[in-house]
Amino acid sequence: MASSSTASSSASGMTERRGIPGAQFVEDVQTYLTQSGFDVNSALAFLQERLQQYKLVEMKLLAQQRDLQAKIPDIEKCLDIVASLQAKKGTGEALIADFEVSESIYSQARIEETDSVCLWLGANVMLEYSCDEANALLKKNLDNAKASLEVLIADLQFLRDQVTITQVTMARVYNWDVHQRRMRQATASTAQD
Amino acid sequence: MQQGGGSDTEVTWEDQQNINKFGRLNNRFHELEDEIKIAKETNENLEDASNELILTDEEVIRFQIGEVFAHVPKDEVENRIEQMKEVTSKKLGTLEEEKEAVLAQMAELKKILYGKFKDSINLEEE
Repeated sequence: MASSSTASSSASGMTERRGIPGAQFVEDVQTYLTQSGFDVNSALAFLQERLQQYKLVEMKLLAQQRDLQAKIPDIEKCLDIVASLQAKKGTGEALIADFEVSESIYSQARIEETDSVCLWLGANVMLEYSCDEANALLKKNLDNAKASLEVLIADLQFLRDQVTITQVTMARVYNWDVHQRRMRQATASTAQD
Repeated sequence: MQQGGGSDTEVTWEDQQNINKFGRLNNRFHELEDEIKIAKETNENLEDASNELILTDEEVIRFQIGEVFAHVPKDEVENRIEQMKEVTSKKLGTLEEEKEAVLAQMAELKKILYGKFKDSINLEEE
């Protein structure tokens, strides 16, 4: 996917963003149809196809957004646990916790004072870190996830704008066509009189 | 939001930008409504939790941290729940404020767009 986004001159706005083609704003329907060489039906078909493409991309982005939105609370929970372990460190007490062994079955665990935690990195890999390192790593992952989410939301907004522009253009082309037909009928009937 | 009718009014780039902005605000409005609902539920749950705390006579409560339930003394649990309630109330306040701001902006845009397009545009919920 292209990573550059260029802004075109005049008032048409962005031409594309991260691989999403921008919808070209039509200043005047007549000029648009003559310049592109489309007749009304092909123009409408072209715009409809663009709309479908946008919908596909929107589904993909929404799925990515859902994943990220699930990941962020997970990372925050891990940070919570590390913080609790660190808090217990000074007191000399062990942390007693009930954890889930299986569905509806819990067991008690006694977590002694410790300087290190193990973090699950995915792909069946788990690494041991000191509490401080673990905090730093989790914080970094959280910041990355939040930043990615922001970019994703901006992408979705851009996409929805392009969808709106395309829908409005379709309506205008259609209305223009209706208007043309009415005028032709009007001139035809006056010619007959 | 749909466009309708066969009018002769031209759509300028500024109009298009207004329509786009209205669409974005509308989306944000629905997202905010969902977030507010979740925040209200969390608030209620925390309220129920503190009420249960007052009624119970156990000294050690199993407090959920992440995926496990840690044994925490009752006082500490009370403090934690108070803290969580504060955070959620503040969040709820900010969300409600944003919702009001979004509604106000949408009303402004409606005035402008209906003013120019009258019946050719429909900005109401389906």
